[in-house]
Amino acid sequence: MKHIGLAMIGAVLAGAITAAGAQVGTTAADIEHQKAGEEKAVNLCSTCHGPRGISTSPEFPILAAQRRGYLESQLEAFRAKTREEKIAHDFMWGIAGDLDDHMIDSIARYYAAQPPAPGRPGDPALIAKGKQLFEQGVPDRSIPACASCHGADAAGVSDFPRLAGQHAKYVAKQIEYIQSLVRKAPVMHGIVKDMTPAEMQAVAAYVQSK
Amino acid sequence: MMRKAIAARFAVTVGLAAFAVAVSDPALAVPSFARQTGQECIACHVSFPELTPYGRYFKLTGYTIGKTFVSSDGFNYVPLAVMAQASVTSTRNNNATDPDTGDTVAVNPRNRSVVFSGGSLFLATKVNDYVGGFIQWSYDNLATTADGTLGGHSGIDNTDLRAVGKYSGPGAAEPDLIYGLTLNNNPTIQDPWNSTPAFGFPYTSSPLAQTPGATTQIDGSLGQQVAGVGGYLWWKKMVYGELSFYHTASGAFSPLRAGQDTHSDGGVAAVQNWNNPYWRFAVSRDWGANSMMIGTYGMIVNRYPSNLDTSTATDRYRDIAIDAQYQYITDPHTFTAQATYINERQSYNASYAAVQQSGGGIGAGPTPENPTDTLKSFKLKGTYYHDRKYGGTLAYFATTGSADAGLYGTDADGNARAPNSTGYIIELDYLPVQNVRLMLQYTGYTKFDGAKNNYDGNGRNAGDNNTAFFNVWVAF
Repeated sequence: MKHIGLAMIGAVLAGAITAAGAQVGTTAADIEHQKAGEEKAVNLCSTCHGPRGISTSPEFPILAAQRRGYLESQLEAFRAKTREEKIAHDFMWGIAGDLDDHMIDSIARYYAAQPPAPGRPGDPALIAKGKQLFEQGVPDRSIPACASCHGADAAGVSDFPRLAGQHAKYVAKQIEYIQSLVRKAPVMHGIVKDMTPAEMQAVAAYVQSK
Repeated sequence: MMRKAIAARFAVTVGLAAFAVAVSDPALAVPSFARQTGQECIACHVSFPELTPYGRYFKLTGYTIGKTFVSSDGFNYVPLAVMAQASVTSTRNNNATDPDTGDTVAVNPRNRSVVFSGGSLFLATKVNDYVGGFIQWSYDNLATTADGTLGGHSGIDNTDLRAVGKYSGPGAAEPDLIYGLTLNNNPTIQDPWNSTPAFGFPYTSSPLAQTPGATTQIDGSLGQQVAGVGGYLWWKKMVYGELSFYHTASGAFSPLRAGQDTHSDGGVAAVQNWNNPYWRFAVSRDWGANSMMIGTYGMIVNRYPSNLDTSTATDRYRDIAIDAQYQYITDPHTFTAQATYINERQSYNASYAAVQQSGGGIGAGPTPENPTDTLKSFKLKGTYYHDRKYGGTLAYFATTGSADAGLYGTDADGNARAPNSTGYIIELDYLPVQNVRLMLQYTGYTKFDGAKNNYDGNGRNAGDNNTAFFNVWVAF
């Protein structure tokens, strides 16, 4: 109980820090950088990721209200070509290859500040199974609760990504990539390495519904 | 008799034109754009040349996403791409009867032989944030001259150059309006949907097979012969409109028909000034992994019967078309479908008068027996790809039109023939890597140039032209 309380305080603090960080600096250069990032998001990123980061195709992740630090780290990984799943290789290496640090920062700020995508309903039985997994994990198999890092409402905490409202197909695919080491995420790999495909589908359906 | 000879001459001209169209494949994928954007072909193409929603955005924003090939950082990439094709064609019945001698002759002298069809060099690049385009130069290894001699030949192919801009209102989440200018040399090459002719199915077909003689003007009859200048608007990625005007690619525009036959009667087309408007209107919507478009396009062509004599009146062709496209694009399943219907009204204001007056047409121009004719074509195809690697396509096509003995001759009973051809295409594709496509295509005809049986008066049936075609396509 004490641990949960500490975790909540930590999450609130992390959220507060991130929210403060989302404020754009006030120098003319900061404003220019942010404007350039927004222009890039509006004119290029929106083509696949949708207006304000809410994509309609499940092949492309929703970026709206995503954690800023997570967006930054992923764009940096695309730029450095260390995130290597097929769609990252085919689409994002080229897009991110030219982004400088200012642009990455401003794009991340833009999407972090957008209103989140609403949850979408799905198979109730699958969602119920996913909810249990998300909130309680599978203690027998040492699979911890997803909520412990991604937040009780799946909105993400600090640099741990928001999952709420994300396309189920995208979430399930990412867990598969992480499990099979196609996508390098050592901490997550340890957590999902024993997840079954059915569990991946269930937890993906649940977070999409949030 | 005189008329019959002229009709035969016109038929030969039409045949040569159709042959030229057949060997002049569309631009397909342009790998230098992949180098420019750093993205793979599948970002823009379902399977080349069919565009994804992102590919359409790339095209309509003037090919300006990505880097210029030279910047303050130095030389970024080579803005050139190369494409080559080799194939084997098998015609079901390769023996035909020569109408003059009665001898049996080969329809395709290279039947079931491996041939190097040709290749292309592309200059394709972003010039700056507002200008981009591609120029294709093709070598046709199977080109024939007017006397039927085989020999390699090179010339300009499809070209599309654009200048673009975007407008976004305050707080916009995506561009409200994309607008641009296009300069191109093939009506519909500028279109971003693959239901229109220039980048429509079949994307590659046999350069050696017998193909039906009649095609509408907008369906490739003017490619690499005309220069089009126009403007377009794309509102909220939903409503698209374009208006362009075409001119003979002469004078300052002559590079757009470089290498084409401008000296022979029956060579490249001559059209009247800029009096050849092209229009396009389309509404599209993307939802989930789906994308749908319904549209209309068309063109009025005022064409001189003889390209060597622009002192005469012109024939008028009015093409009005409707089209639709549906795409479902996911990993690993992709399904796409396109359909188009083109209705052409041919008003032979110059040629019919000449035929009535002298019994012959103007130069190598048409020799119609009717003052007006119609020519309609319908195409429908569906494609499935798994993992963008294994593909299958089914297609249906039908061309129908007015019977006109002056244009299409007469059958054994002396009745005027119609240009009716119907058939289907079955195609299997395999892409071991994205730059290589192995294709097996079968084209079957249920009607060919007016009849199912004995369409040529010498006993040849439509099904005799059924063609199996194996093609290897490489681009880098």
